[in-house]
Amino acid sequence: MLSKLLKHEFRATARVMGPLYLVLLVLSLCANGSIRLLDNRTSAFLNIMGGLVLFLYGACIAAVCIITLVLMINRFRTNLLGDEGYVMFTLPASVHQQVWAKLIVSVVWFAASAVAVCLAALIAVFHVEYVAHMVVWAQQILQNITAYYAVNGTMMILETIVLCAVSAATCCLMFYAAMAIGHSFANHKTLLSVAFYVLFLVVLQVCGLTSAFNCNFDLHIAGAAAIHAFMGMSIAASAVTGAIFYVITTQMLKKHLNLE
Amino acid sequence: MENLENKDLTAGQADLTAENGAEPEIAPVFPEREAAAGGSPILECRDLSKSFGGTPALNHITLSVMRGRIVGLLGPNGSGKTTLIKLANGLLTPSEGVILIDGQAPNKESRTKVSYLPDRTCLPTWMTAVQLLDFYQDFYADFRRDAAEEMLTHLNIRLNQTIKQMSKGTREKVQLIMVMSRAARLYLLDEPIGGVDPATRDYILSTIISNYNPDAAVVISTHLIADVEKVLDDVIFINQGQLVLQSSVDQIREEKGMSVDALFREVFKC
Amino acid sequence: MNWQFNADAPIYAQLVRQIKLGIVSGAFPSGERLPSVRDLAMEAEVNPNTMQRALTELERDGLVYSQRTAGRFVTEDRQMIEDAKRTLAQTHIQSFLTAMTRLGYQQEEILTLIRQEAAGGEGVQHGES
Repeated sequence: MLSKLLKHEFRATARVMGPLYLVLLVLSLCANGSIRLLDNRTSAFLNIMGGLVLFLYGACIAAVCIITLVLMINRFRTNLLGDEGYVMFTLPASVHQQVWAKLIVSVVWFAASAVAVCLAALIAVFHVEYVAHMVVWAQQILQNITAYYAVNGTMMILETIVLCAVSAATCCLMFYAAMAIGHSFANHKTLLSVAFYVLFLVVLQVCGLTSAFNCNFDLHIAGAAAIHAFMGMSIAASAVTGAIFYVITTQMLKKHLNLE
Repeated sequence: MENLENKDLTAGQADLTAENGAEPEIAPVFPEREAAAGGSPILECRDLSKSFGGTPALNHITLSVMRGRIVGLLGPNGSGKTTLIKLANGLLTPSEGVILIDGQAPNKESRTKVSYLPDRTCLPTWMTAVQLLDFYQDFYADFRRDAAEEMLTHLNIRLNQTIKQMSKGTREKVQLIMVMSRAARLYLLDEPIGGVDPATRDYILSTIISNYNPDAAVVISTHLIADVEKVLDDVIFINQGQLVLQSSVDQIREEKGMSVDALFREVFKC
Repeated sequence: MNWQFNADAPIYAQLVRQIKLGIVSGAFPSGERLPSVRDLAMEAEVNPNTMQRALTELERDGLVYSQRTAGRFVTEDRQMIEDAKRTLAQTHIQSFLTAMTRLGYQQEEILTLIRQEAAGGEGVQHGES
């Protein structure tokens, strides 16, 4: 059932994300052309065109980031909390499966957008010298990290990826929980959703600050191990926060669903 | 008297299934159908209550719906009909009491047995008719795609048309077709004929009749009684969250000498 | 078949009467197979259980019989159909006589009126161009 939900979810969201990435790809290629053009400095007109294309390219990158976030949040709202909820919640699937489907798809699109933006950047600056330069540069950074911290560089990169994924999921779940609570009321649903989101932000900030001030323990580990510990704790903290929001979301959807 | 009626219908119901195959064949005897007909209800409410905040939308409702019956859930607006249907779907949880679908509380499994038509169009507007058929076929094992496609083409609905492009009436018909094309055990139709033109109304009632299955029950919630009365086996009158009356249409006409529509007007006189 | 229903009698009873009328008038010919319960119910726009009940009653009366393999058939007993026709006619006549009596007519006057109306009706038929 979860796989069916995922399939349907991807189908529904790819209708928007697909064309978006395509536009980004096209603009990246155009940006690449513009950069080469601007290098030549021939005519004022071409310079303006080039500048315009680069502006559009920049705007598109911003759009991809914003639209990804907005789409994922809005998808939850329209598909589960709106009229479509009548169809979705009467499917032979549990509330948990519904939430996981939305969550997994959101995180995947966040990752995809991040990759797309990086690729767009690479394509835009695709001069042979630059690329070779960047590959050498990346290798050097890796070597430096390994040398300085005496730790496997790829391990840290993995931890970073996991932290990003868990944080993205937690971020989504915070939105989902706020909307699930907000929409359980009869009136002012959107307003209350926003209010609860702000409330969550405030609570998280307070928790974060208090723990930062009270964190006086000495772990007697230094260097690379400390970084690993720090990463581990960050991932754990993020996961726990995410779990709390997950429970809020599923409980609200199970017991206080208000489709009207 | 009620028992006798059931026994008659049982013999008849066996015939009904035997006649489904058009070719004359040796029809098997269904002894278990005799038992089932008097047996467990497909939908049962025991002392069911639901309140929102302080106000009770449903107040200690006890009723049962048997298989093979088409039941009208009749009451004025705001009487609790939609609340009852949502409770049967698992969209709401009871405040008190119990609601059972085929003996179990509404959950993932019971939803495979229930086909629900909401009182508004809830289909994703970006989907085409084909994609909608794929969707239902994917999620519901009992979805009869060929029957659905036949009904859609019969109504001249192009399969590659998006829901957004369809008129309101067409959307409602599409939703009805999807719901009735499932071979479910319990059909819950919330105000299916409320906002549609008379021809569509006839089509909807005709679809309900032609989909009749002695193993399944259909609950039609409506306040337009005159149109549906001939199609109903039983009626449940509900008002302000209370069960007012549960009876068969024949019984009302025999004992009270008036149609259900007339009785409704009398009972719910303002 | 023109299926009409009114509000007072149970629907199955009205179905019995109308199917009887159909048999007697030849819409459902003697010895012929009846449409399936589902088809009849769809045609009459009634609940299949109700139609089933009506047909069961007609079976009990003997106007209709069922073969488990082949479906339901109208009886081949023409005398029974004639009897049913006679009974329906008598019902009509009784209610007609009651209505006429209520208007104040006596039996002889009623018979005269009937002959006049019947003749006049034929005259109108021949007179039409």
